Amino acid sequence: MTHPTNHQAAPTVSAAGLTVTHRRTRVLDGVSLRLGPGVTGLLGPNGAGKTTLLRVLATATAPDHGALTILGHDPATPRGRTEARRVLGYLPQNPGFHPAFTAFEFVDYVAILKELTDRRARHAEVRRVLETVGLGEVRGRRIRALSGGMRQRVALAAALVGDPAFLVLDEPTVGLDPEKRMRFRELTAEAGESRTVLLSTHQTEDVAMLCHRVVVIDAGRVLFDGPPDALRARAAGRVWTGADRAPGALAGWRTGVGTYRNVGDPPSGVSPAEPTLEDGYLLTLHAREAAV
Amino acid sequence: MTWHATPADLRDYASGTLPAPRLWSIDTHLAACAPCRTALAATADPAVTDAGWARLDAELDAPRPGAVESLLVRCGTPDHTARLLTATPVMRRSWLAAVALTLLLAAVVGRTGTPLLLLATAPLLPLAGVAVSFGPRIDPLYETALVAPVHTFRLLMIRSVAVLLTTLPAALAASLTMPSAALLMAGWLPPALALTSLGLVLTPRLGPVAAPATVGAGWLAALLAGRLLTDGAPFPLTAAGQLTGVAAALAAAAALVAARDRFDGTSRPAPYLRPRAGRLP
Repeated sequence: MTHPTNHQAAPTVSAAGLTVTHRRTRVLDGVSLRLGPGVTGLLGPNGAGKTTLLRVLATATAPDHGALTILGHDPATPRGRTEARRVLGYLPQNPGFHPAFTAFEFVDYVAILKELTDRRARHAEVRRVLETVGLGEVRGRRIRALSGGMRQRVALAAALVGDPAFLVLDEPTVGLDPEKRMRFRELTAEAGESRTVLLSTHQTEDVAMLCHRVVVIDAGRVLFDGPPDALRARAAGRVWTGADRAPGALAGWRTGVGTYRNVGDPPSGVSPAEPTLEDGYLLTLHAREAAV
Repeated sequence: MTWHATPADLRDYASGTLPAPRLWSIDTHLAACAPCRTALAATADPAVTDAGWARLDAELDAPRPGAVESLLVRCGTPDHTARLLTATPVMRRSWLAAVALTLLLAAVVGRTGTPLLLLATAPLLPLAGVAVSFGPRIDPLYETALVAPVHTFRLLMIRSVAVLLTTLPAALAASLTMPSAALLMAGWLPPALALTSLGLVLTPRLGPVAAPATVGAGWLAALLAGRLLTDGAPFPLTAAGQLTGVAAALAAAAALVAARDRFDGTSRPAPYLRPRAGRLP
């Protein structure tokens, strides 16, 4: 597969034929990817293998087959693994906390795990990342006293500590209200200005607004890899409005203005509507199901 | 205020050459003592004073090392290692209280009846401590630690040291209250080290709960079988038993070192290193 948007920049992370089998289920089935600087979105339904792919790219689990290079390091060797981990920031799907730690202590602890051994330099770095995520004021507060959105930002600060060149974010906006999500979007975009960021999400708006590239996976396989506009273009001419829910439509719903918005193969003579990224995503997933 | 910073301390502080932990004491003291701040201002040139204020500001929100952590740093442990040691779950009061209670009970039973209870429980405590300190379901930062450049095995060893530092002195103290304390200690210390190492060796294969549980159950079964089959002193209290204990501890330690790369998330199959069942697709 070619990656038209990424030919300008050399890939920083490349994976070829990643396969992971768990209890006889192919969780990843020959995934190949080449990531470059900027934010790449990873979309897929629950159970598609997103978290497993992210765990492999974050060196938390080894693939059964396939090759992986992270900024020139091969995580299959002990030395390459350590080097890759030095340039990596990982925000897991359910980040864990020591609830008795303050925000500062927590990020400081992660900084120690990232080999920042000089106390003064480490503390300066911890303050820097906490300021970056907007938590400078509450750095002395215990994590159990922070709101869900703040905790998520503490986890992001921990991922950012040590200024990693490759950032892996696993559904960081789950459970956040729109305002917090917007704030998180700003932070992710900022992080992507100078890094390779891979963002797994269920929110197609996140991808539409943030990502220069989107990868769709389902059942452990890559279904789409390209710019968000190309994914949206897949729905061109396949979204229309009408007075009723069309019987053959994949999805159709009554909108606020009383007309029905349908996605699928339109009958003749209907008025086409502007497709969204979500329409393209839906049609891509459906095309695979139809093929199976 | 019962003390004040000496002129030498203030001079070194102002020039940024005062070493830790004295530096931290002076930092804390300056935050609370106006006369010393005035003295500091008189000691240093304004540029250096400003830098000092910036440092002090930075220190105010830095983590306060607890008593144990400060002690470790005073004894020469690097501050980052001391932090990892004291952040081990077994350093929590609830764990320490459980250890103390168990040993108290064993000692009371031992003074009135058989030392068997102490002999049985003392080696299980470090085993249980290591189990509660490490593992995907128990350590909230397991995933973060796994992908950090710090080698997982080093982290495991640091945590095991924390466990041994809390449980062994307590078990030694409990033994001292018993008749023939030296013999008793020689009876449980080698098995304690052997069981802890063995539990760790089996962890990548069986998981952080099943591995120590299996090893602990094996230990209790062996003691019980010995009790039922022979009338004399329990096997670990005999010369042959102690030699066996030392040999087992050495063998388990060697096996642990040989298995060190199995802990860092890339040896497959390793069920223990896989994500939690609920998170798998």
